[in-house]
Amino acid sequence: MAGFTNSSCWSTPEVYKHHEQQKICPSRPKYREGRRLKAVKVYTINLESRYLMLQGVPAIGVMTELIELSALYGVVEEYRVLDEYPAEQFTEVYLIKFQKLTSARAAKRHMDEKSFFGGLLHVCYAPEYETVEDTRLKLQDRRRYVNRTTQNKTKEQDHWDEERKKPMSSDAVATTARTSSGDDQRSSDTSNKGETSSTSQGHYLGFPLLPLPPQEFLPYRHAPSYDRLYSYQANQCRTIPTEDKMGSLHNAINTKQQLAPNISSVPSSSGGDRGIVKRLSKNPPPAAPPRFVPRTTHLENRKRKIVETNKDSLFGFVDKNEILIGPKLPDRPKMDMADESLNITANMIRNTLKKVASVPEVKPTEKKTKSAKPRRRI
Amino acid sequence: MMSGKGHSATGSDRFEYLQTLVTEFQDTDSDEAKEQVLANLANFAYDPRNLENLRTLQVTDLFLDMLTEENENFVEFGIGGLCNLSMDRECRDQILQSEAIPLVTGCLSSRREETVLSAITTLMNLTTAASRSQTTDTAVLQCMLRFSISQSPRLRNLASVFLQDCCTEEQVARAEAQMQGHHPTALGIPLPKD
Repeated sequence: MAGFTNSSCWSTPEVYKHHEQQKICPSRPKYREGRRLKAVKVYTINLESRYLMLQGVPAIGVMTELIELSALYGVVEEYRVLDEYPAEQFTEVYLIKFQKLTSARAAKRHMDEKSFFGGLLHVCYAPEYETVEDTRLKLQDRRRYVNRTTQNKTKEQDHWDEERKKPMSSDAVATTARTSSGDDQRSSDTSNKGETSSTSQGHYLGFPLLPLPPQEFLPYRHAPSYDRLYSYQANQCRTIPTEDKMGSLHNAINTKQQLAPNISSVPSSSGGDRGIVKRLSKNPPPAAPPRFVPRTTHLENRKRKIVETNKDSLFGFVDKNEILIGPKLPDRPKMDMADESLNITANMIRNTLKKVASVPEVKPTEKKTKSAKPRRRI
Repeated sequence: MMSGKGHSATGSDRFEYLQTLVTEFQDTDSDEAKEQVLANLANFAYDPRNLENLRTLQVTDLFLDMLTEENENFVEFGIGGLCNLSMDRECRDQILQSEAIPLVTGCLSSRREETVLSAITTLMNLTTAASRSQTTDTAVLQCMLRFSISQSPRLRNLASVFLQDCCTEEQVARAEAQMQGHHPTALGIPLPKD
């Protein structure tokens, strides 16, 4: 068994806070609730490590199997049992050092909370076992990776922009129509740039779309009391007043309807674990994934359809095929529309009018002289 | 054409989703919701694909604003977000434009270890030829020297990397000399509690 050269390996290791499993957050609104419930936690490079700690391994002599399982995710450099670490009865705690941080990440994602020989594994990073050199290399690798990725992205964007130069003008127009209202000046740049985010990595093909709550879309703004200066052009482009929530709600629904149906409907986690992003990358989006439309939109659509159909029904045409739900009202007594009795009043009025029309014109003048007499005022 | 539409929808939808988070953060009164959204944004900052969108949304300023909050979670998540963002050169430059360094060094005195660790890493990322005089001033170095003999291995390691990689030997020696004869805790730099 490989040993570690840490001088502190004989002292009782501390149970660090980041080893503990936090409680999951129960109160997320639907639009940012992921498939797996997660605690509220921020991951930085400092929390991650090539070293993983595996707790809850049943103490039944399955070390070999455990290491074999871990090795599925990448090369394991070293491993040992942490005898001195507090463990539940009949379980063991292992420390595994992977060759790469990415392997450790994958192993953690796949093995955490999984059953293993009847026990529930709890896997967490163990950065406190790193040496100074380990930490330094970790940070350098991370910086290199981030900058390389963003550089590739800009290269891809330029490539993408060039490829789509001609159709871009019409697409840009279409795209601007599709993006949230009022976005016109900015979206033609960023939406095209944003388009390439999916091509640049190759392995990641679609951002999992969550239903957007109908809201006014704004970048982070300072209250007037802040004096930090910023000059973000979109702030100047924004013309829709924040009070106009009704208007923006309506627009948001229309925009969503106009969006192409090729949007992945897989809900993502609230970004709590980059592993989620990676996991989704393994599922390339189908040619036309079903679009997830929020329930409120459905209701609005239905309401609008009803209003539109009712417009027609004002003229008395009711769809006889419409399925009625609910207790049936007693039928109105059916009338015979051809019955002569319905015309009595009409006929009487017509006859009167004829009589009035046939009377000689003297009457009007008589009426006039009559009315010329002054009324007696009492 | 289909894929083109998919990409454009995907790109702008990603942006819109992030924008929605920012909006919720601004509009909500609930501290709990704010914490959740803040953590989301900070975690999104870990993925390089989101960095440009986050820059556009000025999330840098959002995170920096959190560093002076009373709520320790806000501070921890805010500096965590900055730690993630600052790995990227363009984000780093945007952060430096906002006079961030005093705010970040302020986090070195937090009681929370994660906050301090994120602050050290952020300072490392923010150290450029131009900003070096600020990020490695005497007070900071003395802080790092104290951390480099801490009980916590993570703190020790990060502080050591900082002292070795971001400062000259003369700088460190000078700071050390000024500390001679003082009991470490007398410097008044509180140690983060785990």
